[in-house]
Amino acid sequence: MANHLFAAIDVGSFELELGIYEISPKSGIRQIDHLRHVIALGRETYHTGKISYRLVDEMCRVLEDFSKVMKGYRVEDYWACATSAMREAVNNQIILDQIEVRTGIKVQIISNSEQRFLSYKAIAMKASEFEKIIQKGTAIADVGFGSTQLSLFDKDSLVTTQNIVPGVLKIRDILSTIQVNKTQEKSVVEEIIDHELIKFKKLYLRDRDIKHLIGVGDTIMILVRKASEGDAPDRMTREQFNQVYDQLMSLSASQIEDTFGVNEGFASILIPSAIIYNRILQMTGAEMVWTPGIRLCDGVVTEYAQQNRWLKFTHDFEEDMLAAARNTAKRYRCGNAHVLCVENMAARMFDAMKKYHGLAQRDRILLRIAAILYGCGKYVTMRNFADCSYNIIMSTEIIGLSQNERELVANVVRHYQDEYEYDEADIRTAKLTAMLRLAVALDVSYKQKLAGCRMGVRGDNLVISTEYPGDLSLEAMTVGVCAGFFEEIFGIQPMLKQKRRV
Amino acid sequence: MAEIDARFVQPENFVNRELSWLEFDYRILEEARDKTIPLFERLKFLSITASNLDEFFMVRVASLKDMVHAGYTKPDMAGLKPEEQLAKIGEKTHDLVNLQYSTYTRSLVPALKQNGLRIVGKHEDLTEAEGAWVDKFFQDNVYPVLTPMAVDSSRPFPLIYNKSLNIAALIRKKDGEGEIDFAMVRVPAVLPRIVEIPVSEERVVILLEEIIERNLPALFSNCDIIAAHPFRIMRNADLSIDEEEAEDLLKEIEKLLKRRQWGEAIRLEIEDNTDKRILKRLKKELKIQNPDIYQVNGPLDLTFLMKMYGLPDFDHLKVKPYHPQPNPAFMNDDDIFANIRKGDILLHHPYESFDPVVKFIQTAARDPEVLAIKQTLYRVSGNSPIVAALAAAADNGKQVSVLVELKARFDEENNINWAKMLEKAGCHVIYGLVGLKTHSKITLVVRQEEDGIRRYVHLGTGNYNDSTAKLYTDCGLLTCHPQIGEDATAVFNMLSGYSEPLHWNHLVVAPIWLRKRFIRLIEREAHHASTGRPARIIAKVNSLCDRDIIAKLYEASCAGVKIDLIVRGICGLRAGVPGLSENITVRSIVGNFLEHCRIFYFENNGMPEYYMGSADWMPRNLDRRVEIVFPILDVELQQKAMHILEVQLEDNLKAHILQPDGSYVKVDRRGKMPVGAQDTFCGEAVLAAKKVEDLKDPVNTRVFVPVESPN
Repeated sequence: MANHLFAAIDVGSFELELGIYEISPKSGIRQIDHLRHVIALGRETYHTGKISYRLVDEMCRVLEDFSKVMKGYRVEDYWACATSAMREAVNNQIILDQIEVRTGIKVQIISNSEQRFLSYKAIAMKASEFEKIIQKGTAIADVGFGSTQLSLFDKDSLVTTQNIVPGVLKIRDILSTIQVNKTQEKSVVEEIIDHELIKFKKLYLRDRDIKHLIGVGDTIMILVRKASEGDAPDRMTREQFNQVYDQLMSLSASQIEDTFGVNEGFASILIPSAIIYNRILQMTGAEMVWTPGIRLCDGVVTEYAQQNRWLKFTHDFEEDMLAAARNTAKRYRCGNAHVLCVENMAARMFDAMKKYHGLAQRDRILLRIAAILYGCGKYVTMRNFADCSYNIIMSTEIIGLSQNERELVANVVRHYQDEYEYDEADIRTAKLTAMLRLAVALDVSYKQKLAGCRMGVRGDNLVISTEYPGDLSLEAMTVGVCAGFFEEIFGIQPMLKQKRRV
Repeated sequence: MAEIDARFVQPENFVNRELSWLEFDYRILEEARDKTIPLFERLKFLSITASNLDEFFMVRVASLKDMVHAGYTKPDMAGLKPEEQLAKIGEKTHDLVNLQYSTYTRSLVPALKQNGLRIVGKHEDLTEAEGAWVDKFFQDNVYPVLTPMAVDSSRPFPLIYNKSLNIAALIRKKDGEGEIDFAMVRVPAVLPRIVEIPVSEERVVILLEEIIERNLPALFSNCDIIAAHPFRIMRNADLSIDEEEAEDLLKEIEKLLKRRQWGEAIRLEIEDNTDKRILKRLKKELKIQNPDIYQVNGPLDLTFLMKMYGLPDFDHLKVKPYHPQPNPAFMNDDDIFANIRKGDILLHHPYESFDPVVKFIQTAARDPEVLAIKQTLYRVSGNSPIVAALAAAADNGKQVSVLVELKARFDEENNINWAKMLEKAGCHVIYGLVGLKTHSKITLVVRQEEDGIRRYVHLGTGNYNDSTAKLYTDCGLLTCHPQIGEDATAVFNMLSGYSEPLHWNHLVVAPIWLRKRFIRLIEREAHHASTGRPARIIAKVNSLCDRDIIAKLYEASCAGVKIDLIVRGICGLRAGVPGLSENITVRSIVGNFLEHCRIFYFENNGMPEYYMGSADWMPRNLDRRVEIVFPILDVELQQKAMHILEVQLEDNLKAHILQPDGSYVKVDRRGKMPVGAQDTFCGEAVLAAKKVEDLKDPVNTRVFVPVESPN
């Protein structure tokens, strides 16, 4: 059959969600069914650090039901992901095990950057307008329950994404611990947010002109729907937002329920969320808010469909990841021609060695990111910079990378300089490290002498041939230094071959 | 929600719902009194007035009594306190009952006799031969199941069952001057109440209680019978408080539960010539007051007339039975899903057959492509083919979810039985929702097709009951519109306890969104009218007694919206009152079929919207129940819906028009062609089916179609 049925489960901080999707190469992704069950996982994790058994029990019951629904639709496959509440719960491993034993559902905890990347993919999938919108300066604000994510586009690729700590649930909880009246409440929330936003603005918004804000999450959808009252219910202008915002601020909790048509739970988070959006709008100066109405489940299915090559994107997400990495490199003053050259070498080496390294296509991107970022630690110190690079990478969000992948990239970068510890790292790290070392060695002079080189495996050699007329003895020396390790890993000896033009 | 102008919610603008309900029973009684109607049909109408009245007492009067006991004095929207309401109800009911019995004794009994059916009203009127037959019948069939009970100082007054028919007697020991004792025997419900006496050419029937009364001496063999009379009581025995009451009342009553008098008698029916001593004794034992005693001139509990209607050989005195016609959309060889894919189908029952709905579920149960069937069930017939099909579907490995509403009045037990059966078959059965009744009628079939998942939905105004579908006028929509399919899925997810969907495409669901939507739709018409644009509302409902809706209708009327309402039963609105509702007309149609569909039309400045659904304009439907109202999107079907409304508005045979003073009068027919809506629909359905039939007839098509080998 041409159509595929797939289920996506989101174990979120506020809700359990199941989306049943139909994927067809012809007509794309269609949501067939959508179940939501409100469960306050976030509240427990953020308060006590743990999720109690009572909630685990409830969660299992709902997931069991999800599993029945999935069977009812005869879905081919499913992915279940858990986000911040579960990620931050200290007992998450026990809970995941419980869930699997009781319901048969394997839930995977995903990192913040993976989560945001999935949403972002779904946004890109959702609209043909997406490409148009991001041509002008665009920011994505994903005001979640646990945290808020701000991402920026430059031209048409994503350049940075930052996780800003308070999400609406956390703000609501902070508010419940201090006694304030309504106007005070507003200013307290504003201060909490500004505290984070001001830094963001200084670092990232200085020379950007943001016209559009893409809003992700339930709360902004409710606001937009209220503002537009029927027509084009997926966008609103700044003025419309202001009107709704003023109206919202003047209402009591029960009036909010009536006016916005939401339940009590939502009414209580609508205000903090609106304040966050208001501050973001003020800070960025965006004129239009667009809410594509996507949810994490939509992102999961998009990713799944893409991995299975059932769908093609017009937008290049790999480019986004690389752009974000380059942007980070630029911040640490290492975004220069050398880095570009090393990245390029690494990619070509990866392709040339395809038969011999046995790595996945995904590793190619990781290798390129490692190549881009390997030298960022030099911003801190020139000696032992690889350790600094490691730390910078470990604490920088690179959208689209899972926690494991980020760690992998960081380790590759660290081992670039450090002695390779055989019992510490895995073979994947070793392979990438070997290639990174060689790639850097090829431009050790920082002069891009080998920019036009060709690489190919002949027999037991990786032959790097160049027509560069000048002196290559430094390069030959450094290649020789890394050759041992390279051969140890791949069984292939790198060989630099300088062709003389006749 | 928008504000409501205080001027429209004055108590004098409203009619008390109970009194309006009694008006409705009067309208049915009028049918029983209409000599142009076949005699046996009139029996049926009279029987209906009696069973309606029983239910009215058990539910509504009982509820008002509770309020009085609880000391609840909040007036209703018409400004009447419970006690005042009870007084007015009593007065009006006494008049109604008198009219019932004069209809029975003065009109129906003589007419039956003329047509060859003699009803022996008093056993004293039996001929000798008849008497002998009756006595033998008593000995053989009745005597063994009777339990006579005498009351004296050592035996307490027996418990009298709610709604049971009993005979009270005064007896005295044969030997001497002994005291007069009270005795009682219950007329057994296991025996048919009408007994036909086959001794002569003439058809003669007698009621069971008369036979027992005649043979009382056999029960109290050593006593003299001084007097004997049948009586019947109705108790306030309903365990649940009627959901229609306001929430504050429920709380009030819960608090004062102790003061509630369980099982108190709220009505006593007895013959009008009853011995005073018997009456006095009953009054004392039952603690019942005069206003609640109904002394009648004729047999108690007229619901037996429904059985009488079923007597064989009187077909010439009944309306010829109507056979529901097939809907033209299904008169082909394609399967039901293929037919729905051709376009939405609107069924109008009972003119059009209910079979497609049953077949829809039966086909889905067998179809290998069907993944899931979901349905809400409320008041299903005993051995419903739908229930059987659902069980079979579960057996075939489909995901079957059924929401069974157990709170349907008076047939809880019936419901539980088949719900258990479904569960055993592997269906996922939801036994209703806490605090809400599920009144919506919706079925969803999810099917895996070549080009992906497709959802087929049936939405109805009436229950999934194949027997009542022959008697109730209802509408049903079969569609595979993807957006309605999405909404239907969302409805079932909500019914399974999941959060509301992020948005609705087309369906409007109570108790959360429906009231607001109706208010908005009415306001929109008012707005159109006040800005000089075309505005009109036509609504057909069973009951209209929601204060806010009525107030908004007044407001719209004052803004110049022409509003035509077709309200079968309770109508709390005053029509045609100058300065309030000049632009509103209300009509009620009482016919052979029970008017049941709800249709709503809003002109909307020339872009009309049509809705149908399960909800009436009553607070309980809008606030305490899960109801679904759905739009008719297909233009052709919109015309069909409009036609239904137009014909009903033209009806001048069965329609009663509400007058500004609250009374109903039949349409003045002078100079007009007689139009009976129900007859018109019957005729049209027959014609439509015949047209398709004729088209297929090879004699007409002049083309012979060879039958090929099935392979």
